Amino acid sequence: MRTATPPARRTRAIGLIAVALAGGVLLAGCQAGEAPVSEEPVSGGTLRYASGDAEPSCLDPHVGGNYPQALLASQFLESLVSRDESGEIIPWLAESWEASADGLSWEFTLRDDVEFTDGTPFDAEAVKVNMEHLKDPATQSSTGYLALGKVDRVEVVASDVARFVLTAPDSALLESLSQPWLAIESPAGLARGMEENCQAPIGTGAFVVDGWVKQERVSLVRNDDYVSPPADAAHDGPAYLEAIDWRFVPDAASRYAALQGGQVDVIDNPQPDTIAAADESGAFAWLDAPRPGASNRIELNSSQAPFDDERVREAFIAAAAVDDGIDALYFGTAARSFSALSSVEALAYSEPALFETDLERADALLDEAGWTERDDDGTRMKDGARLVLRFPVSTNQSVPAEQSLFEQVQAAAKEAGFDVQISLLDLSSWYGALFAHEYEIVSAPYTKVGPDVLRILYHSDSITPAPSGYFANLAQVNNPEIDALLASAASTSDPAERAAQYEQAQRLILGGHYLLPLYDQQNSFLLSPKVQGARALPTVSTPSFSDAWLAE
Amino acid sequence: MTGRSAGTGVPAPRRGAPGRAARHLALLLGGAVFVLWAVATLTFFAIRLIPGDPAQAILGGPGSQASQEALDQVRRDYGLDQPLVVQYLAMLGRLVTGDLGTSYSLKVPVAELLGAQIGGTLLLAMCSLATAWVLALGLSLWSTGRGRVASALGQGIELVAAALPHFWLAAVLIAVFSTGLGWFPPVATGTPAGFVLPVTTLAIPLAGFLAQVMRESLLDAMRQPFVVSARARGESALGIRFRHTIRHAALPGISLSGWALGWLLSGAVVVETIFAMPGLGRTLLQAVTLRDIPVVTGVVLLVALVYVVMTVLTDLVARVADPRLAQEGAR
Repeated sequence: MRTATPPARRTRAIGLIAVALAGGVLLAGCQAGEAPVSEEPVSGGTLRYASGDAEPSCLDPHVGGNYPQALLASQFLESLVSRDESGEIIPWLAESWEASADGLSWEFTLRDDVEFTDGTPFDAEAVKVNMEHLKDPATQSSTGYLALGKVDRVEVVASDVARFVLTAPDSALLESLSQPWLAIESPAGLARGMEENCQAPIGTGAFVVDGWVKQERVSLVRNDDYVSPPADAAHDGPAYLEAIDWRFVPDAASRYAALQGGQVDVIDNPQPDTIAAADESGAFAWLDAPRPGASNRIELNSSQAPFDDERVREAFIAAAAVDDGIDALYFGTAARSFSALSSVEALAYSEPALFETDLERADALLDEAGWTERDDDGTRMKDGARLVLRFPVSTNQSVPAEQSLFEQVQAAAKEAGFDVQISLLDLSSWYGALFAHEYEIVSAPYTKVGPDVLRILYHSDSITPAPSGYFANLAQVNNPEIDALLASAASTSDPAERAAQYEQAQRLILGGHYLLPLYDQQNSFLLSPKVQGARALPTVSTPSFSDAWLAE
Repeated sequence: MTGRSAGTGVPAPRRGAPGRAARHLALLLGGAVFVLWAVATLTFFAIRLIPGDPAQAILGGPGSQASQEALDQVRRDYGLDQPLVVQYLAMLGRLVTGDLGTSYSLKVPVAELLGAQIGGTLLLAMCSLATAWVLALGLSLWSTGRGRVASALGQGIELVAAALPHFWLAAVLIAVFSTGLGWFPPVATGTPAGFVLPVTTLAIPLAGFLAQVMRESLLDAMRQPFVVSARARGESALGIRFRHTIRHAALPGISLSGWALGWLLSGAVVVETIFAMPGLGRTLLQAVTLRDIPVVTGVVLLVALVYVVMTVLTDLVARVADPRLAQEGAR
């Protein structure tokens, strides 16, 4: 899923005072909500949440399927399976599952004691209806639809057994089903039609949508009959909280001011300087929950000049010094990544040696590639062409700190003779530039559970644009060996073989100098100290409050 | 402003023929329709100059992965496969019948969407306008005719206030009154307390503008013979101000109020976002981001309509406040 983080609404003067945060802070990321052992959970109260993500246009995450929808849906919808902190798939609405030897048929045994909050029983028929809803073009599902690409149909074997019939083996099926975009909704709710279901989808979750005032808030109330937490939950039964008041507060500074003033208890999308200040003061707990899937990285368009020459790609990566910029601009809240995958992915492979800054090497490589002349600005030239790198940046997806980082990359690459031309664009214009191939470098987040995101981003199939013009392989990696490894890893049922193939694929992708990893896709929450027991679900790192309570 | 006004400041009898007034009204209405048509036309064509496929906006926004069939279907359903001129005429036809169309992203009628949001924004704008008026009148009455220091101070405050950008002012107000003093919440809650900071943010720069023009006419009025004769009658300085010159100070303020409301509506985009208030400004921002053409057109038309109505109203109010205008019309 491509994500839209909130528009950067305020440019902040970020001083170059390097906040020397200890490495421990970097790694620990403060386990918010880990209550002192002596404290007993308290029932009651309303948790006030201020969200900076875009307000969804539909609360049903089957429709479209973006991160703002996932944030809210995690409070009232549940999936067949979940993932624990180690990355293992664990039971949720499904108690167990088994794949056939050929990998083309999966049988899920479902919990038989769960009801949707409208009283409809949760059963195999409901699973079937939900998967059909996702695959129906009229639903306009994008994320869920893609995740079910290899699922042909779902059969009802018994009321508590659903069989997924696949057209090809899919080693990512469980990871796909763990995502909130494939959560299970009440069939009776879906039958109401899209318009009504979008207002208040009906699930099995710990909370129920009680009302939605556009541009203001979604009111969630406790599901008093709740019985189905995921296997790694801290407690069984209904939530401690009576309600959640979920407010849309687009401005980052206002959100933090509201948290400081005690007007809200939890905020998402805090800016890096805010996180550092809040964490240092100790007044608020910082929940650091990087998103799964791909890391945040700069992709190099290898399909056209000058990056069709691998030496030029390597030179750019050697010239673009990012370490100091990340430290200074993120105030120590973001750790440098050397992988195409998020650090939450167990199969992420890192290779720091490939990303060392070395200006001399960059110069030598560019000389070798024939970019020997320089114009008055110091930009390298070859056959009369300047070494220009167009860099469209989405202001919806890059926070101010990231935009500043890109400016530092621009300055660093200039030393080697690159003319990096940054254009700040809104989302539509940004996609327009990508579709027209008007980019040499670009940064695009991609959230998905599991390493199969590599197939989406780097398999040559993803070079072919969808009818809308969209293509995910922005680096334009077109390597039969990588294709073969990714296809094979996606269908093998042997975990060891799968891991080996993904590692080999990542070695080839990183070694081909197609990308410059920056850091994990940042995803942070600040919590008032009275909020206890909250956590981020280890699936797509959305917050969960089913175990949370408000301390006195 | 000339000294032709009655020396006592009492309105002279109206002499405008009814026919002239009707002609004036017809002219105003005709102008209003023309402005609305021009705004609709400009919006229609301007929005097509920015990148982004409307069919994609309908199917889940930019970068959606809609199928070819779905895109084709939507283009047929919404008439997007028709030539631009046909689409334009179809839109005009709909507008004439009062149909603003359906939102691409939210799939609800635009009229319903705007109806739900206009109340909050208008309330915000009117409160801000009223506050700005009070601030501006107070400042200009206090600082004129009290010597050089007060005048310079008043002018300085006006200049600075008028130049303050909303986003900066909002941030400062939040830092001082929410985070620092804890008097008002930074996020509007629907309570009067939550309304204070957004209204203040919009009112202060506007008060700067209004006070500048008020001071000019106030100074002008103070030099008029009727002020001298009032003084000669032994009226106090305060009495002169409130009984005679305030009307002169108010006049340009009234004429500016139409413009001010339009200005406030654009300021609402920033203020509603920062203080997390529902309203037209945020609707517009979201619609532009999502390329939701019917909603953008709807908001722009609605703002234009408010603007036109306000201009007509201020014209009428100015006639009541200054009888000379009606006389001039009758001559």
